[in-house]
Amino acid sequence: MPPGAGAGPGSPYLNPYLAGMGLGLVLLAAFVLVGRGLGASGAFSSTLSWLVNLVAPAHAQANLYMQDYLGDGTTHPLKAWLVFEVVGVAAGALLSGLLAGRARFTVEKGPRVSTAIRLVCAFAGGILMAFGAHLARGCTSGQALTGGALLNVGSWAFMLMVFVGGYAVAWFMRWQWR
Amino acid sequence: MRVPQLTLNQKLAAVALALGAVALFSQPHRGPFVKLDARELALVVEQEVDHVKPAELAAWIVEGRSDYRLIDLRTTDEFAAYHIPTAENAQLPELADYPLLRNEKIVLYSEGGIHSAQAWLLLRAQGYEGVYTVLGGLDGWKDEVLFPVLPVDAGPRDRAQFERAAALAQFFGGQPRTAGAAAAEAPATALPKLTAPVATGPAVPAAPRKKKKEGC
Amino acid sequence: MMTPFYKYGLFGDEVSLLVAFLLGLGFGFFLERAGFGSARKLAAQFYLYDMSVFKVMFTAIVTAMLGVTYLGWLGWLDLDLVYLVPTNLGPQIVGGLVLGVGFVVGGYCPGTSVAALATGRLDAVVYALGIFAGTFVYAEVYPAIQGFVNANAMGQVTLPEVFELPWGLVVFAVVVMAVVGFWGATLIERRFRSEP
Repeated sequence: MPPGAGAGPGSPYLNPYLAGMGLGLVLLAAFVLVGRGLGASGAFSSTLSWLVNLVAPAHAQANLYMQDYLGDGTTHPLKAWLVFEVVGVAAGALLSGLLAGRARFTVEKGPRVSTAIRLVCAFAGGILMAFGAHLARGCTSGQALTGGALLNVGSWAFMLMVFVGGYAVAWFMRWQWR
Repeated sequence: MRVPQLTLNQKLAAVALALGAVALFSQPHRGPFVKLDARELALVVEQEVDHVKPAELAAWIVEGRSDYRLIDLRTTDEFAAYHIPTAENAQLPELADYPLLRNEKIVLYSEGGIHSAQAWLLLRAQGYEGVYTVLGGLDGWKDEVLFPVLPVDAGPRDRAQFERAAALAQFFGGQPRTAGAAAAEAPATALPKLTAPVATGPAVPAAPRKKKKEGC
Repeated sequence: MMTPFYKYGLFGDEVSLLVAFLLGLGFGFFLERAGFGSARKLAAQFYLYDMSVFKVMFTAIVTAMLGVTYLGWLGWLDLDLVYLVPTNLGPQIVGGLVLGVGFVVGGYCPGTSVAALATGRLDAVVYALGIFAGTFVYAEVYPAIQGFVNANAMGQVTLPEVFELPWGLVVFAVVVMAVVGFWGATLIERRFRSEP
């Protein structure tokens, strides 16, 4: 079986087109109910701003970027739309994983790389991802999916570059996945 | 002749292409054309729920309420010379694109009341529900709030009312008058400077460090 | 019947948070259904033997795009009231490149990392920690790079607006591109799976 296609125990994955339609309908529901799309990176910003504010409030409140997520103090930074949405994502994914028997403690990696190195790469990837998402004002959920459906110029440009960036380095990272 | 059996994916693709083709003719945006419920609007006007009195508005400003948007429809120069505290400036043509929320209270005023009434109709026609005009416009504001007049033969109740109005006038930098005495004076030249004691009329709708609400 | 309901005052901020959670529930559910709780499946996109990321993403885009088009056309959705993230071309292009690299290095994107850590992937937890670290660094350097971050501001613009084409034409073009893309992706998959 080719690696990556329903690998490991549990039910086979859903037809990608059906899964995509499901996602698309959830996105559409967001548009109709709340007038905005989905997202994820903003939740990380809110949570981080809240954490830094707990530990070093003066620094957090003086920081130009975190100010946007802390607001004027009248609302708790974690009482943000995206934070609640992301908690939902975790819950929904867990539900699906449990139903399909795919939830288990594991480290996703290719056969040739060690767990330690994989985790280092994961951490590094996260850092890069943070920069990318904040520069672009969104990640694949917020920009690509949401903006893509709304034919947003910046989102389509972003989406294109994500694929370009990914394919450009794929060759150099193949030892991690193949 | 046998029709070839399509796989699920092929059926999905066919449906998508069909929907896409029909969408070629779509016009999903609102556009400038509106639909009016004439009867409903007439009723609103008749019941006088389409305006607020200047004194009412003054009370909102004093209370520091933030659940309304006050729009001044006059020119930028007129706005700069004087405007009701907490007002924003927007002319009629740009009102359609102005960032107003559908679910907030929008209060309009102009010099007298004509432009604000027209703007009221235009906004109502575009689906905004909580739209009001200031009764009498800026003229009404001047008469009722800034320069309240104590009538010549005022009884005790009138006096009490005048005291309250006078206090309000002081708050906004106006000047209470007694009838007859300085009636001939043109109070228009004595419009208070814009160092009003209330919160400044922000050009940006949101309070300064409001949390980032939209975006990802 | 005017929507978006929230923008017409049907419910307030508190309820919208509940709605956020429920939408997230659906989002996470379908992400995992598609297999995006697995870094290997996600990364496979960039090795061409599993193009699910492309298929799922563009199917979702086409579905929602057709949805807003038809709902707007019927007058059931006020498309002008749906929030459009403003375009800043320079930073978004650079951001996309960096994100793409992060995708292959880390194996996730923010949304899928949450889906993955919820199903027990420890590397996703580490990845999420990386996002926090990266966000912190970003926040620290933000004042210095502000100029770039806000460069090439085009406001809220759509492809039809910029290319001065009718909305429907762009929608049709996207659908056609997607369907052709899916067919091509399947061909590519077959080719790269048969290779050792």
